[in-house]
Amino acid sequence: MTQTSPLAETPDAATAKPVRRRGGFRAMLPTWSARLGVGLLLVIGIALFGVLGPMLVGDPDAISSIGMTEPSGDYLLGTTQTGQDVLAQLAHSTRGSLQIGLLVGVLATVLSAFFGIIGAYTGGFLDEAFSLFSNVMLVIPGLPLVIVIAGFVPAEDRGLSTIILVLAITGWAASARVLHAQTLSLRNRDYVAAARVAGEKRWRIVTVEILPNLLPLLASQFVFAIIAAIISEASLSFLGLGANGQHTLGTMLYYAQNGWALQLEAWWWFVPPGLLIALFGCGLSLINFSIDEIINPKLRVDARTAKAKAGGVAKEARAAATAVSPAPDQPDRELVLTVEGLNVVYQTEKPVHAVKDVSITLARGEILGLAGESGCGKTTLAYAINRLHRPPAEVSSGTVTFHDRGGPDIDLLNLGDEELRAFRWSKLSMVFQGAMNSLNPVISIHEQLDDVLTTHKPDMGKAERRARCAEVLRLVGVDPRRLDSFPHELSGGMRQRVMIAMAMLLDPQVMIMDEPTTALDVVVQRGILREIIRLRDELGFAVVFITHDLPLLLELSDRIAVMKAGEIVEYAPSGQIYERPSHPYTRQLLASFPSLTGERGAFVRAGGTAANDVNEGAAR
Amino acid sequence: MRYYARKLGFYAAALWAALTLNFFIPRMMPGNPVDTLLAKFQQRGGSVSPETRRAYELLLGTNSGEPLWDQYFSYLGNLARGDLGVSVSVYPATVSQVLSQSMMWTIMLVGIATVLSFVIGVGLGALVGWRRGSWLDSVIPATTVLAAVPYFWLALIFVLIFSTTLNWFPLNGGYDVSLATGWNWEFISSTIEHGFLPALTIVVSSVGGWLLGMRNMMVSTGSEDYILTARAKGLRDRRILTRYAARNAVLPSLAGFAISLGFVVSGSVITEQVFSYPGIGMKLLQSVENNDYALMQGIFLVITLAVLGANLIVDLLYGFIDPRTRVRN
Repeated sequence: MTQTSPLAETPDAATAKPVRRRGGFRAMLPTWSARLGVGLLLVIGIALFGVLGPMLVGDPDAISSIGMTEPSGDYLLGTTQTGQDVLAQLAHSTRGSLQIGLLVGVLATVLSAFFGIIGAYTGGFLDEAFSLFSNVMLVIPGLPLVIVIAGFVPAEDRGLSTIILVLAITGWAASARVLHAQTLSLRNRDYVAAARVAGEKRWRIVTVEILPNLLPLLASQFVFAIIAAIISEASLSFLGLGANGQHTLGTMLYYAQNGWALQLEAWWWFVPPGLLIALFGCGLSLINFSIDEIINPKLRVDARTAKAKAGGVAKEARAAATAVSPAPDQPDRELVLTVEGLNVVYQTEKPVHAVKDVSITLARGEILGLAGESGCGKTTLAYAINRLHRPPAEVSSGTVTFHDRGGPDIDLLNLGDEELRAFRWSKLSMVFQGAMNSLNPVISIHEQLDDVLTTHKPDMGKAERRARCAEVLRLVGVDPRRLDSFPHELSGGMRQRVMIAMAMLLDPQVMIMDEPTTALDVVVQRGILREIIRLRDELGFAVVFITHDLPLLLELSDRIAVMKAGEIVEYAPSGQIYERPSHPYTRQLLASFPSLTGERGAFVRAGGTAANDVNEGAAR
Repeated sequence: MRYYARKLGFYAAALWAALTLNFFIPRMMPGNPVDTLLAKFQQRGGSVSPETRRAYELLLGTNSGEPLWDQYFSYLGNLARGDLGVSVSVYPATVSQVLSQSMMWTIMLVGIATVLSFVIGVGLGALVGWRRGSWLDSVIPATTVLAAVPYFWLALIFVLIFSTTLNWFPLNGGYDVSLATGWNWEFISSTIEHGFLPALTIVVSSVGGWLLGMRNMMVSTGSEDYILTARAKGLRDRRILTRYAARNAVLPSLAGFAISLGFVVSGSVITEQVFSYPGIGMKLLQSVENNDYALMQGIFLVITLAVLGANLIVDLLYGFIDPRTRVRN
């Protein structure tokens, strides 16, 4: 039963409890899926055939007088040219191939783990040497090398162990590279650094902190190594260079080819061996899909993702929402955006109500602050206004109306896809948190600014577009000569300025800024905030400014909405919030910030439940 | 510039490793290849001059007691002059002559097939990854079967279906032997006809790997912040797909070109054998069957050189496509 042992723990994956792990709370075992089921069925079925089959069939080498017969009752898969039973040969060959695959798989994985993990963990010269070695082994084409080696060994000396050794030596490099990359990234994770600082021994760090997190990857590399070994061995044997006197699926095909099976159309002779290899490989790959999903959770295909359309609006939302708006006192100003009774729900196993009955208005040229702690739903709210939320997030009810300057009101949640696309950025633009990742790292700043203009203003000339890009950069205080730079060539503050410049390209009426300055130091932050206020005064756009920093909002905004667990608990002009906060949570928030003169503030985290963390993560 | 220097240095090291491997393999193996070879040589009517013996000894090892070190340098010297020895199986042709005859066939076949499978695989992978959750997801399990099918078996099946049964394509060979070789339409169409099934085999067997890799990268890239920015910018879906998602997702596929190319070249060696295609792969196997060690080593070197060259080109291109690599190193 050795053939199935590496996979033996997978069948009860569905029932096993997730193992608590460091570095991400992913379950160690694959989640049950149809793919995994089919994969296990194929692999276990073929392995059983290889293990038990040889005991049930006759002698594979026995020659009889009835050569080249089609499958029949006596010979279920027909006979070869010399009258050997194809089924008997198939059973023995499957056993031979599996044996080689497993042994080579183990050896190659051990080699790759040695060169990949040890090198990456140790670093320094050893790492350089090890990775140079594996990269060289990688670019030297494997099969020609194996053929040359096998060619030098006389056929009678070519035993099973020679073949296994040669295949293992030529087959470990690719997976060493993968393990190397992963170990490097693990080595730099915080919990490993913490262990090192705490003075844990090296071997302990490798075995306790790093190895468990590499296990899924090792498993998948092992599975790959088995597939590769079986296919390489089959190729070698097919060329007549396989192990001497060994039954494998490759030797079967070799004899079939040399026995004119193809010309005589004896499909029963050469189709089954190849099919077995293909099905076994397919089974292993399907199992690997499940392992890959553990390594990279993004790959998981969510059934709900399939159903819900990105940015979709639930039917109920189209029904007129009930106005719950506690319309705050700003009657004299013209409105540009009205949100009424907006509800956003994450349709996960346990639905999370991330935005509850939110109603806000935004006047022209106003800066509206949206404050609240991490996970309170403020980013979800911002995305839902522009319908940028992705499944499983869904707007379950409410309306978002944009009061266009010199045009009819726009019902954002009922806009067609193409109208919505044209609306975005030209009337409402956004500045996202973390400008580091909001710019495409591999194309220049100019291209990223330019494609807004080519899309939204197709009749602008090339020079005109470039001039406009330079103009907005100048507006935010970035030297226009930086246009041809790539994002990685700019500082964090500069990147954020570029994002703001990009948001102003089309003179939008509203800008939503989601924590635009959180990642920056206080001096840079101040400069950018001053810039935003100045630009607002000059150009007259309205801003929804999202942050967890309430004191900053007191200074910056005209009105402030305080959000807690998806609800707006207080909504008033800044002065009023500062002087007479009415909700206890607002008072708590205000008190939590240290003042220069007073006592140290307390750390406040009211809605900090796991559910809120989930929707913060999902919102990104 | 340091990026390019590093890359060139790496390929120089890889080349040296391949040459050295080539030198040591026959010396580590049991038996005395030089005697086997010279016996064969005489059978074919070649007269063994001391120079011929010496050339083989340098290539394959000697028991004359000459220090390994001296042998090694003389071996490298011979290679530098392009002297790869005389082939036994195609006597009296030299190894270089045999190589130059069969090389073009393989480069054309494998080159065209690799480019096609890369373009098709990456294109389909981008689409499947972008439209995740649609019916296109059902393509994925199919690709795993393709990836697990041995090249030669697929070739056999194609021959059975398209040559033996349907008679659409010739059974084997690289061109119609009754035609004169030359740049005329008749000959070229005959090579296309003969090359179609081998190329199809390589494309079908290797496309799955590209597709899957690209699809997985597309899925990861799809959740990057800059994709969200691009959507918020109101860009058209097509533009986001090409300029933002696929543009970035293709980078690892290119970086991993070495692994895939190695597989494709290995696979094509066997594909050539099935189709008796007059390329370098078939010559390699002929030389193994005939114990033509000089030719065997020459072919291994040339294949390695070609793979290294292709990877070098891709790496240099990569530095051009991903601006970050140019500074990072």
